[in-house]
Amino acid sequence: MKKIFYPLAGLALIVTSAFTVIAAQDWKIADTYSVKFEGGDPSGEFRGLQGTINFDPADLASSKFVTSIDINTINTGNGMKNTHAKSPKWFDAEKYPLIKFTSSSISKAASGYEAKGILEMHGVQKEITIPFTFDNNTFAGSIEVNRMEYNVNTAEPDHGAQKFKVSISVPVTK
Amino acid sequence: MYKRVFFHALLSGALAAIAGIVYYRIYFFATEADFSKVLNPFSITGMSVFVCMIASFIYFGLVKWLNEKGEIIFNFLFSVISFACVMVPISLSLPLDIKFPELFPGLAVPMVFFPALAWMTVRPLFGRK
Repeated sequence: MKKIFYPLAGLALIVTSAFTVIAAQDWKIADTYSVKFEGGDPSGEFRGLQGTINFDPADLASSKFVTSIDINTINTGNGMKNTHAKSPKWFDAEKYPLIKFTSSSISKAASGYEAKGILEMHGVQKEITIPFTFDNNTFAGSIEVNRMEYNVNTAEPDHGAQKFKVSISVPVTK
Repeated sequence: MYKRVFFHALLSGALAAIAGIVYYRIYFFATEADFSKVLNPFSITGMSVFVCMIASFIYFGLVKWLNEKGEIIFNFLFSVISFACVMVPISLSLPLDIKFPELFPGLAVPMVFFPALAWMTVRPLFGRK
């Protein structure tokens, strides 16, 4: 028994310490993040960003983003537009309360990094690539999203913009 | 000739400003929603005086041109334009750092009627001619 105790203890320590290494790569989203969308009229931001960010520039293979945005936190600066955006005609916040992004792979790009993954919005899942940088503990990137591809008010293609530039800036802490 | 209209407009503007500031304070007390970045006692006073001064020139022109009918048309116009201006605060997009934008129309919509209301309230003080 004594012969296997120390090897087992050693193994246990290895496993436990491995988890601490993984935990050290987890980042917490700071409150000063911003998720802004621009499409002329309307433009605005989302406030309800949540998720787990596991990112290590030296180990991109095990890095992963699992994030979501609460549709109910949309702010266009206009109460009437906020209410309309949450209604069944647009995002249908009651039925689809979250916009989700889950990365499948993160790789190095010419300038910064690229996260490939599934963006789920309004019940539609599409594979997208988000180019981003990571400097001074801040993730920054932008993508173009076409609401028509996610069946968001397809009945009125000319009501407001179809394509939106989404700019994301997420300061993180350990 | 315009002097009487000028003081009418000035008093109306002051009265509308007082009403606006009182309502602003009551609204903040009731909702705790801070819109001071876009609407504050200074801007309320400025807008009230500005609207009443613009109205004074329109009033003066209409009365000079149409006599008694001028005032009837002016009152009608002032009411209709005030009512149409309801759309301004409803459609306005506020800076994104202002919380609860859906409460803004509740503050600003009543205020668009204050200049017309004040104008018609003090009108009897300034006689017929």
